[in-house]
Amino acid sequence: MIELDGLEVRLGGRTVLDGLTGELRGNAIGLLGPNGAGKSTLINTLLGFHEPARGAARVFGLDTRRDRARIRQGIGYMPENDSFIGNMSGVRFVRFMAELAGLPPGEALERAHEALFYVGLGEVRYRKISTYSLGMKQLIKLAQALAHGPRLLILDEPTNGLDPMARQRMIQTIQEIRKEGSIRLLISSHLLRDIDETCDEVLILKQGRVAALRNIEEERRSNRNFIEMETVGSTAEFCERLRGLGCECASFPDGRVKLVMPDTIDVRDVYVLASENKIEIRRINRRRDSLEDIFLRAMESEPARGDLVSI
Amino acid sequence: MSVFKHEYRAYTGPVTSLPSRIVVLARYALAEAWSSKITVALFIASMIPIVVYLIIIYLANNPIARALILRGNSGGLDINASFFLKVLASQCWLALVLTAWIAPRLVSFDLADNALPILLSHPISRFGYVLGKFIALFSCLSLVTWVPSLLLFAYQGYTSPQPWVNAHLRVAVGLFAGCTLWIALLSILGLALSSWVKWRMVATGCIFAAVLIPAGVGGVVSAILRTKWGLLLNLPVMMSQLWHRLMGVPDSIRFGRDIPSTAIAAMLALICFVCVVMLNARIRAREVVRG
Repeated sequence: MIELDGLEVRLGGRTVLDGLTGELRGNAIGLLGPNGAGKSTLINTLLGFHEPARGAARVFGLDTRRDRARIRQGIGYMPENDSFIGNMSGVRFVRFMAELAGLPPGEALERAHEALFYVGLGEVRYRKISTYSLGMKQLIKLAQALAHGPRLLILDEPTNGLDPMARQRMIQTIQEIRKEGSIRLLISSHLLRDIDETCDEVLILKQGRVAALRNIEEERRSNRNFIEMETVGSTAEFCERLRGLGCECASFPDGRVKLVMPDTIDVRDVYVLASENKIEIRRINRRRDSLEDIFLRAMESEPARGDLVSI
Repeated sequence: MSVFKHEYRAYTGPVTSLPSRIVVLARYALAEAWSSKITVALFIASMIPIVVYLIIIYLANNPIARALILRGNSGGLDINASFFLKVLASQCWLALVLTAWIAPRLVSFDLADNALPILLSHPISRFGYVLGKFIALFSCLSLVTWVPSLLLFAYQGYTSPQPWVNAHLRVAVGLFAGCTLWIALLSILGLALSSWVKWRMVATGCIFAAVLIPAGVGGVVSAILRTKWGLLLNLPVMMSQLWHRLMGVPDSIRFGRDIPSTAIAAMLALICFVCVVMLNARIRAREVVRG
């Protein structure tokens, strides 16, 4: 869907994207990175707002430099900040955007109504957008991005400024769109949880370079359970029996035990074994390898320049 | 994505051509312009001189009406190039008022709520965006300038007992050229200034100021330096001289104060160029979300 070939973008004499190379083929791709990593610049480059200084970016196999109009035809874009015409009613605004995307007026009106109902703004579609709440303004941006039936939906910080209820609704809507399957998603967010809940791939940028490109689903599948315990009593036999269950186990002289559990083993089994070996468990700390770990590891490592990364 | 099912439905229907998207922009801009009652009021006010000119043409060509109303006094009822120059001048200055009201409405709503990133993320270029707005403004101004002026010309040709049209074709061409030059300039100037000012009322003031203040400065320059070239800053005088020449009417300006047509054309081209640069800089700066 998106191919980056040594993409370098310079803005104001500063290199913002530095030799990005990779292929993004997933249905829902998360774009992560600290402030100034180049997330928005990458999105703007894919939309054709910025010209690459070197290398190329291709969307649907089309070059962002030469085929800007054809790429934009197939993209629905929801920008991060407020972006609408406050003087227009919701339905008129979405219809306007759909017509700009190439829908005939009649179809555009029909799709505008449908999109507004789909995102949950059906009841307020005749109100001026300037009277909408922050959550509604986020939803109207999503509605206009969906109305023309794009092949790729780019969402820049979709849950920005939303209260927990509105955020949950936005996440559910994105999950529904992903499930439906006809639209690919590219979601940029600071919130790891949003990406975790909505995406199956993640591209992590750092200093304008690719820090990591991971398939979240595969990471989840290969996830291992780490458990750290503080115990009182002899741990040698306890560890032996844990190994017998298929765990990787390491014991330390101060009574600390670290183990990696396979998915088939439950924590309850550990308690049972401890009880049978007369071991007191004073503290148990269980943690899973999360997107946060992937992100933190990527931030610690030196970002790659020009290396081909693909999933 | 149907209303009753609340499900997403991909669009598989026909898609309009890329150039027609500019017409979409122009159509919505026109609707925005005419949604204001003040626009309608200004348009009606702009038609009052046309009605007066229409009555004059009627009286000039109808001896019975002239005898009844003017009691045979037909002084000042000659319908010639000078008459149509007055028509052109009055309508063109009314067009300035209309521009000052409409142009900010076309641009400032987009800028106030930062709509450009969404608008330009669709298959439309910066040039297409400006062209769409330009078409809308040019169309509005056409309705009060060359369209009614040429209709008056046609009416005069129809009511005149002598073969009048063929002898005055240059007047029609001058009317059309003079009006289109002026409203094209006003449109680009209005859009450029509106794009730099967020508040509509301030933008309205700026448009008037851009025409009138340089005129005053030009007058001062001409008076102090005793040169005619200060008039190049005086848009009303420049346009008046241009209109005289286009319509073939002798100029009443003092000897030595007339500016060569090439200098006027160069100045108008320079103004347009500056406006285009201003528009490009402003839209380029606002088309992306700055992170």
